[in-house]
Amino acid sequence: MKLLEVKHINKTFDNKDVLKDINFDITGGRIIGLLGKNGAGKTTLIKLINDLLTPTSGEILVKGKKVGVETKKVISYLPERTYLNKQMKVSEVIELFKDFYEDFDEEKAKKLLIDLDLDINERLTKMSKGMQEKVQLVLVMSRKADLYILDEPLGGVDPATRDYILDTILSNFNEKASVIISTHLISDIERILDEVIFIDKGKIVLQSDADKLRNKEKTSIDEIFRRMFKC
Amino acid sequence: MLNKLLKYDLKYMIKNMMVFYVLSIFFAFTTRLLFNMEQSTMINIIGQISVGCMFSMVISTLINTIMRSWVRFRNSLYKDESYLTHTLPVTKNNIYNSKFIQTLIFFIIGFAIVIISLFIAYYSKENWQAITRYIKTITTGLNMSTTFFVTMFLIIVFLEVFNAIQCGFLGIILGHQRNNNKLGYSVTIGFIVYIIAQTIILGLVYVYGLFDPTVMELFETGNINIEVTAFKTLAVLSSALYIVIIYIMSIICKSALNKGVNIE
Repeated sequence: MKLLEVKHINKTFDNKDVLKDINFDITGGRIIGLLGKNGAGKTTLIKLINDLLTPTSGEILVKGKKVGVETKKVISYLPERTYLNKQMKVSEVIELFKDFYEDFDEEKAKKLLIDLDLDINERLTKMSKGMQEKVQLVLVMSRKADLYILDEPLGGVDPATRDYILDTILSNFNEKASVIISTHLISDIERILDEVIFIDKGKIVLQSDADKLRNKEKTSIDEIFRRMFKC
Repeated sequence: MLNKLLKYDLKYMIKNMMVFYVLSIFFAFTTRLLFNMEQSTMINIIGQISVGCMFSMVISTLINTIMRSWVRFRNSLYKDESYLTHTLPVTKNNIYNSKFIQTLIFFIIGFAIVIISLFIAYYSKENWQAITRYIKTITTGLNMSTTFFVTMFLIIVFLEVFNAIQCGFLGIILGHQRNNNKLGYSVTIGFIVYIIAQTIILGLVYVYGLFDPTVMELFETGNINIEVTAFKTLAVLSSALYIVIIYIMSIICKSALNKGVNIE
């Protein structure tokens, strides 16, 4: 069964077409890189899947259901910004996730917090932006979701932590789940990708299995991306 | 899920409002204490400062209840926190209902804090008798019982302010459907919605007046010396109309939210 179906999605802002006739499917057990330059439409597409934007036309189905309460139960989403109420302590945010998401694993969250050297009793307002992003990643990866959508998960963290985050992503989702990672730091995530979707000017310009693409072009995804989007 | 959303909305509000409640009651106590002490120039000056602080806290309590309800609504639904709100597995109706109930609860608490503060600061047998005598004069003139008058007065004030808060909510929802200057549109639309709501209520009272000459007198004579029975009718009628308008507006808000959001 298809995990995610995006059918003829168009999104217009102020008469400007931000996404144009986007079509793709995702099945379970894959790690997909949603790759594109800044302003290509990656975040818009992700926000549409997460009900943060309303499509101008087209349809998005998650496990056969339209975006709504049921799809939010199975999607674990990490936005590209810090979005938690900064007055809250980390422990309170964990409590919130436990309250709302049946698939949230509190013990896993606590373990990941310790690994990342984060204090569960600290208020978010006292944490740096990078630390807050780590807390958000912990929360998202502590869910046993079917689809993880990570928008720029590596953007605000130091290179040393990036490897840990990628290992965390790899080791913390179940085999039937899929992960969509949107980033322009392609070389960092290349090693974990099963599939790539290149998006440019609101259109999908390439969708391929990562290994097949590497073999066909005889170079890395990062290099293919650089060639394709050379300014 | 509504109870869970409400739990976090109430927690947020109590964290932000507690300081006003505590200070309001604290200055009410100091006011009472200072004016019960043997008076001297210094005590009198401190007493006046305490009165000023108490009233500023009482006013802040009411204003902050309204402003923070709007700010919380906007932040939760359209600012960074909306990334969490809209990705929680809850319906848009529940999100709205939670904000609605939270505002209702904190407006009642704010109202209670004001009354308690004034009671602590100024209650005495003489003051109580003076207030009841004053109210009695009004109610005798209007041919109403004191209980009915006070109850209707509180209900109408409450519904009026609550209606204004909800006009703000609708303004925020409709203002954020725009792509630019969302805050400006929110304030303008909220104000327009408020004017429209008031006009509808007044229009319906006028329509009722076509069948009740005592109420119609209000529109025809231009003076307030109308039949006393009209006040009773007006009080009950306007309360009922406010409730209907608030209900209809909440349906419009939920319907607009259910059409989808566009978060920046």
